[in-house]
Amino acid sequence: MGKTLFDKIWESHVVVEKPNNPSLIYIDRHLVHEVTSPQAFDGLRMNNRKVRRPDLTLATMDHNVPTNDRSLPILDQTSAIQIKTLEKNCKDFGITLFDINSPNQGIVHVIGPQLGITLPGSTIVCGDSHTSTHGAFGALALGIGTSDVEHVLASQTMWLEKPKPFEIRVEGKRKNPHAVTAKDIVLSIIKKIGTGGGTGTVIEYRGEGIEDLSMEQRMTICNMSIEAGARAGLIAPDEKTFDYLRGRKYTPKNYESLVEEWRERLKTDGDATFEKQFTLHIDDIAPQVSWGTNPEMTCDVTESVPSPDDFSKGDPNQKKGAEKALDYMDLKPGTPIEHIQIDRVFIGSCTNARLEDLIEASKIVKGQKISPNVRAMVVPGSQMVKKQAEEMGLDKIFIDANFEWREAGCSMCLGMNPDILSPGERCASTSNRNFEGRQGTGGRTHLVSPVMAAAAAINGHFVDVRKLDLS
Amino acid sequence: MKGNIIKYAQDNIDTDVIIPGQYLKVHDYAELATHTMEGLDPDFHSKVKEGDFILSGKNFGCGSSREHAPIALSHSGIKAVLALSFARIFYRNAVDGAFLLPIEIEQDAYDGILEGDEIDIDVSANEIKNLTKNQTYKMKPFSEIIGKIIAAGGLFKYKPDQD
Repeated sequence: MGKTLFDKIWESHVVVEKPNNPSLIYIDRHLVHEVTSPQAFDGLRMNNRKVRRPDLTLATMDHNVPTNDRSLPILDQTSAIQIKTLEKNCKDFGITLFDINSPNQGIVHVIGPQLGITLPGSTIVCGDSHTSTHGAFGALALGIGTSDVEHVLASQTMWLEKPKPFEIRVEGKRKNPHAVTAKDIVLSIIKKIGTGGGTGTVIEYRGEGIEDLSMEQRMTICNMSIEAGARAGLIAPDEKTFDYLRGRKYTPKNYESLVEEWRERLKTDGDATFEKQFTLHIDDIAPQVSWGTNPEMTCDVTESVPSPDDFSKGDPNQKKGAEKALDYMDLKPGTPIEHIQIDRVFIGSCTNARLEDLIEASKIVKGQKISPNVRAMVVPGSQMVKKQAEEMGLDKIFIDANFEWREAGCSMCLGMNPDILSPGERCASTSNRNFEGRQGTGGRTHLVSPVMAAAAAINGHFVDVRKLDLS
Repeated sequence: MKGNIIKYAQDNIDTDVIIPGQYLKVHDYAELATHTMEGLDPDFHSKVKEGDFILSGKNFGCGSSREHAPIALSHSGIKAVLALSFARIFYRNAVDGAFLLPIEIEQDAYDGILEGDEIDIDVSANEIKNLTKNQTYKMKPFSEIIGKIIAAGGLFKYKPDQD
């Protein structure tokens, strides 16, 4: 019987396997950041352990770094301590660190691919749930907690119950690919399968709608696999993947021979079977806007906020969830999405802060000013993205429109640094989670694509970007 | 293992409401515990007692990989979370550090057990007894290695070569 791409990567990394039990799998790359690693390094010290493969481990600081002027001291002392601690840990254990002043600093899931660390067919872990992003390159990439970070640092392996392969086919062609983006595809998927729809699975995204996407767009799709509860997301590598990784800082010396082998092996066999399947047709999908407090609570920009009854389809817990969400979001059923006024705009995060995201958003912003009622910021995903964008003059376009143009980091995606919403503020955000309090206590998050966020900044409310000229 | 129930009759309790991101910089677990469930239930810290259990719906612990979530619950006194299903990273983190027992239950237990009920969890028999209502429900058994990791007191105390 044929094998899925996931099966092939899994089998080539199993160290120990027993029936009906988790397997010990080998980890090829470990990415480390300042928030989920301190206790792991403490654990190593307490037990006199070393990092087994510092050469396969790479660190940066992204979660709590300030995004204003990097020459200024970090005012938040607890953040400053976490940053200093990572510096010390990397020095003590011999790990390469891209620190706050490095030109390679950025969100781990943005810099991994940019540096050529993310490779097809490999296993990658990081103490961050959005590690699933790297699956866009055909890597099995898993978010882990701090105990597992310690386990991988010490042993370069981890225990894992074998997830089940889940095929999601994305079929058809978008009529306006500048207005209907990868973010809208993945939000449409989560809206249909739910936040627990992928639990215990590794999703392989397949079909024409995926093949048509650029690598950066594929990363947006795989990034949000975790929002459907999946362990990881995967896309089989193709020529776009191989071209993207060619000639980067850490691209292996024998890259071309690796590509030959990957091209043959890293694909799902024709007769392979998946445990679960779902198909999304994208010919007619609209830009998406989340209205609630989890990513499943999403609708078309042309729709209105649903009633709890319409949303829940008879499930009492879903109904209660929707009622709570509407209360928290201060929204009434029947309100057209395009009538929702916003206070803040955040273009950033590991979901949507890559160069293409900024290029697409800048097309909407060029020559315009943001609404006087809106405060808007662009936080590039990495210092490399920032530099590339500045070389193209994108910074000027955003600054001229009164956007703040900031330094790289996770920023307002998760409210760990000073970039947070005030209670009651409503934000159009290109990030991945609209959970209560995620962007700051009492803050209200609407998940959208970069072009939808940019258009909301200009207009002060959501607009259907298909009406705009984005060519 | 006996304890009383704090029930959240809803799905999708995420790690951002279990412990909001701003507290991920707090390394003192006693202080961390004072912010547990702050996003969802500001009264949690004042009402939780050592040995209590949480009961909730589907996809408990969805969201971030922060191990602070089971740590904060554990340091608040929570010994087990009973849920219809768990997000996998939360489940794994709970087991890895032996912070609390993540117990998957069926609909009968979810419906039958109410806020304040005293229950007795018997992991070896895969049974949950509701002492308040005199009812018994099945729990989903732990897989062999997960059970051994829990019994050993966490991932770093578990020695696979002794099997």
